[in-house]
Amino acid sequence: MNPEPFLQLDRVIHEKGRLAIMSMLAASPDLSFTELRDTLNMTDGNLTTHIRTLQEAGYLSVTKSFHNNRPLTTCSLTAAGKKAFTSYINLLETIIQQTKPK
Amino acid sequence: MESNWAAEHLQVIRTLMERSALYRRALAPVMIFNGVLGVAGGAVGWACGISSGPAFVAYWEGVAISALAGSFLLVRRQALKDAEPFWSPPTRRVGQALLPPLLIGAAAGVLECLHPRPELVAVLPAFWMLLYGCALNAAGFFMPRGIKLLGWIFIVCGCGWMGVCATCTAERAWSPTAGHALMGGVFGGLHLAHGIYLYFTEPRGNEP
Repeated sequence: MNPEPFLQLDRVIHEKGRLAIMSMLAASPDLSFTELRDTLNMTDGNLTTHIRTLQEAGYLSVTKSFHNNRPLTTCSLTAAGKKAFTSYINLLETIIQQTKPK
Repeated sequence: MESNWAAEHLQVIRTLMERSALYRRALAPVMIFNGVLGVAGGAVGWACGISSGPAFVAYWEGVAISALAGSFLLVRRQALKDAEPFWSPPTRRVGQALLPPLLIGAAAGVLECLHPRPELVAVLPAFWMLLYGCALNAAGFFMPRGIKLLGWIFIVCGCGWMGVCATCTAERAWSPTAGHALMGGVFGGLHLAHGIYLYFTEPRGNEP
């Protein structure tokens, strides 16, 4: 079996929490901090840390605005984030194909 | 082993993506439009004295078609404004969830118009409320929270009116005035109330 796909897996996305954030954002143009937190059952601190890591990797952009005088933080995937996520999915599929019993 | 791990990962990703792809168009304009149309429909029906069973049913089916057409145009306008496809996967899911109960309600109304049974006219609004409540409850699985609750309120109203019909004779329970007030109050009033609530609450602010 070729071990290369395993080695190519993006460590930033591979973490469970960050993968969940990326998955949700891949299916929606943008999501608010509250929607992500509530759907993924994460604490504010945990989610903030993961968002910062993804932001530093250039995979995620964060927009802060105000709605009805309340702060609104929305997250969306960047072009690099979408590309990295697609590559990650392709690698998972390659791994499944390689390890499938013939 | 590795294959299982990768397949489980893909399954988790698929589930999260489906959960994330909720129907997110602003519902306040649609709800307020339907609410105003429903209340106006009740008032006009009452004022014009639409009283016979088939006329009552045809009139309210016309109001429902107008509501559907108006909602369609409002949603389409929002999609065009956001430069997004109108017939997106979440919209398709919501449409598929709404369609069967709405179709049954429309068919029941058409049958009542073609083969009038005066004793059934009083029950038809309850039937419509129950079906519409089921439609909203089904669509609520692909929409933000609140729609399912609205669906349940319609179901409770429908059950309540069925109870009234069951305990009274059709003549006592039913009058054209009561019919238009019921339709306008329940369909118009509930949509309007929900629309006003959404107008002030969607999208919700958040604090990281």
